[in-house]
Amino acid sequence: MISVKNLSHSYDNDGKLAVNNISFEIEKGETFGFLGPSGAGKSTTQGILTGLLKQQSGEVSVGGYDTMKVQNERFNKIGVSFEQSNVYSKLTAKENLEFYAKLFDVPTVDPMKLIDIVGLNGKENDRAGTFSKGMKHRLTFARSMINRPEIWFLDEPTTGLDPTIAARIKEIIKAKAVKGTTSFLTTHNMYIADELCDRVAFIIDGEIKLIDSPRNLKLQYGQKLVEIEYANGGNLVKETLKTIDDKDRARIGEITEKYDIQTMHTKEATLEEIFIQVTGRGLK
Amino acid sequence: MKLLSSYIKEMKIAARGFYFYIEIFMAVLLLVILLVAVKEESVSKDYEFVFHDMDRAIEDSFYQDDIEEGHMFIVDDTVFDVKAASFELTDRSTGEVKAYDFEAGTVTARTIEAYDEKTGKFDKTLYMMDSEDDMLWMAYTEKKVGARLSIDEKFGIENITVYYDYIMQGFETERFTNVLYVLHTETPDTVSAMIDTQSVRSLEEVDTLNNRENMVPLMVVFMGSLMGFFIVMAYIFLDKSEGVIKALAVTPSSVWKYLMSKAMVIMTTVLVSSSVITIPVMGLQPNYALFYLYLIITTFTFAALGLLIASFFDTIEKSFGILYFTMIALMIPAFSYFIPSFDPVWLRYFPTYPMLQGFKEIIMSGTDVGYVLTYCGIFAVAGVVLFAFANYRFKKTLTV
Repeated sequence: MISVKNLSHSYDNDGKLAVNNISFEIEKGETFGFLGPSGAGKSTTQGILTGLLKQQSGEVSVGGYDTMKVQNERFNKIGVSFEQSNVYSKLTAKENLEFYAKLFDVPTVDPMKLIDIVGLNGKENDRAGTFSKGMKHRLTFARSMINRPEIWFLDEPTTGLDPTIAARIKEIIKAKAVKGTTSFLTTHNMYIADELCDRVAFIIDGEIKLIDSPRNLKLQYGQKLVEIEYANGGNLVKETLKTIDDKDRARIGEITEKYDIQTMHTKEATLEEIFIQVTGRGLK
Repeated sequence: MKLLSSYIKEMKIAARGFYFYIEIFMAVLLLVILLVAVKEESVSKDYEFVFHDMDRAIEDSFYQDDIEEGHMFIVDDTVFDVKAASFELTDRSTGEVKAYDFEAGTVTARTIEAYDEKTGKFDKTLYMMDSEDDMLWMAYTEKKVGARLSIDEKFGIENITVYYDYIMQGFETERFTNVLYVLHTETPDTVSAMIDTQSVRSLEEVDTLNNRENMVPLMVVFMGSLMGFFIVMAYIFLDKSEGVIKALAVTPSSVWKYLMSKAMVIMTTVLVSSSVITIPVMGLQPNYALFYLYLIITTFTFAALGLLIASFFDTIEKSFGILYFTMIALMIPAFSYFIPSFDPVWLRYFPTYPMLQGFKEIIMSGTDVGYVLTYCGIFAVAGVVLFAFANYRFKKTLTV
C-alpha cells in the first residue's frame, strides 16, 4: 500500500537532510510503526506521504498514487490524525465532522457513529472550543476515520490522553487493523508501538537504522531477565539476573533456597532499550 | 458542492465570531453618523471685519440701497471676547512694519447680514468695527481677511473715490490677492468684460452630490477594501492558529476552494455593510446593478490581496508592519477625494483612487458606465492574479 524508495528531504538548501535516503514498504492491512526521537524525521516522512510536504527526491507511492503528481482524489483513500488537535473551535463536534464528510468523494461514516466510537456522546452539539485537550484530540482522531480510509496516518495517537481514553483509541486502531486498514503510526512511545505494530522502523537523524517486527527485535537484541526482591536480615534486597547466564541461574537458585522472596518477575527488554542499544540514543 | 460547503462553514464561523459583527456594527454606526451628524448642505457662512475710515453718514450710505432692496439686514451688535495678541503688520506698498500688542478683552461690532436670494440663505456677515485697531485685532485672531475703506472727497461728495486696504494673513495665494486687486483697480465694465470671456461650466447643469451623499463612496470603499482586507487576514490567522489548514490539505478539496470561501464570506459581509450605508442615504438613485458588480469585484481583489499577504506570515502579529503600511497607503486617495486641488498623477495609481471615483460615478444619476466597467475589468484581472498567487503561496507554504 505504501512504497518508499530513496526518499530524501531538506528544508533548507544547506545540504542538511531532514530525511536521508530512506526506503521501506508497507503491506495492505499492516500496522507500521515509525519510531524515533523528536527531530528524527518522522513528521517529515509522514508529511511527504500525506502530501503536506512537496516531495523533492526518491519514489513514493501511497495507495497506488505517485506522490510526485498532484492527484486530489488520492485523499479519498487516506485519513490523517494529527498530533496537534486541529478542529474548528467555533463549530460543534458534529458540525466539524459533517463539514469534513462533505469534502470527500466517497461514502463517509455517520458523524454520530464516530462521536459514539470515541466516547463524545452527549457532546456532539457543544462547540469544540469548549472541549478539553483530550476531547479535541478524540475529535481529531474521529475525523481521520470519516472517509473510511484504506491508509491511516496516526501521529502520536495517544499522547496526552488519560489511560482510559488511550486504551479506547488503541482498541479502535486494533479493530481497524483486523478489518484490513493499513496504518502508519508515528510515535516516540515504544509501548504503544510494541502493542499495536506489526513492524517498526527506527529512524534517527533522518536515517532508518532497522525495520523488523517487535517480536523479532526482542529475540535478536533482548535478554530474558528475572527481577527478584527478597528479605535479607531485615533489609529488602533487589537483584536483576539473566536467565541465560549460568552464574546468574545459580544465583537465582541460591536466593530461592536461602531467603524469603517478596516478589519475582521475568522481564523482557523493551523496544526502548533495544532502540538505545541499536542507535546509541534515547527517545526523548 | 465542496465550495458551497466551505462557504456555509465559513459563514457559520463568521456568525459566531466578532469580526462579522464589528463590520455590521461599524456600518450602522457610520450610517447614524451620516444621518445625524453630517448635514446635507455644508454651513459655510463667510464673514469679514471691516473698518470704515469715514463719516458714519457716508458709511451708512454704502449699504443704504442693499438694505432698502432687502439684500442686507442690520442685526444686533455682536460682542466678541478676544484673546491677547501680538503681531507685526507689513505694508506691502511701502515695506513699513508696525507692531501691535493687544490685551485680552471684548470688541463690539455693528453687524449686517447679507441675504442671497438664489439660495434663500444668509450667506455672509459683515462686522463693522469702530476702529482700525479693532479690525486688525479681529482679523488676526480669527485668521480672516480684514478691510479698511477710506474715501477721497476732493472732487466733491458726488464723486468720491473709495480706497480699499486689505489686511491679509500672509498665507493667501497670489491668485486670490490678484482677484482682490483687480476688483478695485479695474473699472466695473472691464471686470464684467473679463468675466464674460471666462469659460464657466455652471454647477447647476452637472449632477452633484450633497455632503452626506458625498461621504458614501468613501465609506463603501473603506468598509469594502480596508475592512475586507483586514478581516480576511484575521480569518486566515485564526485558522493558522487552530491548524485547520493542514486538515483541509489532506482532503480531496482544493486549497483554492478554501481561499475562495474566505473571500466569499468577506464579499457577503461587505455587501451587507455597504447596503446598510448606501440604501438609506441614496435611496433608489444609484445604478444598483453596477454598484453591486463593482463592490463584489473590488472586494474580491482586496480579499485576494489580504490572502496573499497572509500567506507570508504565521501570525497576525508578524504581519502588522505590512498590514499597517498597506492600510495607510490605501487611505491616501481620500485626501484627493475631499481636496480636489490635490490630485497628483501618482495618486491615481493607488487602487482606492479609481474605487472612490467609480463609486461616486455609480451613485450619481449621470453615471459614466464606461469608466466603471473599465475598472471592473482591471480589478477583476488584478484580483484573479492576486488570488492565483495566494493559492500558489498557500500550497507551497503548508508545513508539517
